[in-house]
Amino acid sequence: MAMIRGWVPAPGPFGELQREMNRVFDAVFGKQLGAAGRIRAGYVYPPMNVWETPDGYVVACEAPGLEMGDLEVYVAGDQLTVSGNRPGDIPENATLHRRERDSGHFSRAITLPGPVDSTKTEATLAEGVLVVRIPKAEEAKPKRVTVHLEG
Amino acid sequence: MTKTNEIPVAAQRRAGEPPESYFVPATDIYETADELVITADLPGIKPEGLSVTVEDNVLEIRGTLGAKAESPGEMLLQEFATGEFYRAFQLPADFDTDKIQAALKQGVLTVRLPKSERLRPRRIEVKIE
Repeated sequence: MAMIRGWVPAPGPFGELQREMNRVFDAVFGKQLGAAGRIRAGYVYPPMNVWETPDGYVVACEAPGLEMGDLEVYVAGDQLTVSGNRPGDIPENATLHRRERDSGHFSRAITLPGPVDSTKTEATLAEGVLVVRIPKAEEAKPKRVTVHLEG
Repeated sequence: MTKTNEIPVAAQRRAGEPPESYFVPATDIYETADELVITADLPGIKPEGLSVTVEDNVLEIRGTLGAKAESPGEMLLQEFATGEFYRAFQLPADFDTDKIQAALKQGVLTVRLPKSERLRPRRIEVKIE
């Protein structure tokens, strides 16, 4: 199975272990930690979910409160870059009681597992989730081979 | 242009407790002279998947993000969760629950609680005698 370099893949035994750890962690700390129940160590923004289909890759990216104009999506070679600016929405004269939502500039690049056709990349934004669909390069798509019987 | 959906704020609390497992949305809370504002990141939220209630000065946000069947293929990487979320806040003082407004825009929930007259800062006229 193809792997995203530098990241632990969700499926497989290690992914299973990680999920189990998360379950245990949530069960023990979920209620006490509040928003920190989302593990902040090594926290990367924006968080992404990545799927592989026979024809390409689908990348979903958390982008709450962002408009398309706040976001830039690039595909160069096999690298996808999502960058943007998240404007803060707290008025200057307000008294802050709690601040957990990040704001400011962000940029993140991931290396896709195989060659892609960047010219056909599509990005959509709905309900605060950016979805990028990147088709695989023709040579990377699975091909059905017809077997001819001889004799 | 994005659509802003008004969400009716139910006066009664839904029976029950927090779901068995849930995640906690990141939330900002700030106060201006006129109102208390609670903003929560709920990327992927649909209005029908969200419930906002206030009872006994407890504001409760709960719902479900994304359907499990939405997976478009084989998952390679998962960094954010879908499923049930829950968060409750004790409000500092009595608010007029009829005037609480909640709006959803691009996956961000904003709940506005206007302060009652009693809570608003008041300028006291000093009379010079």
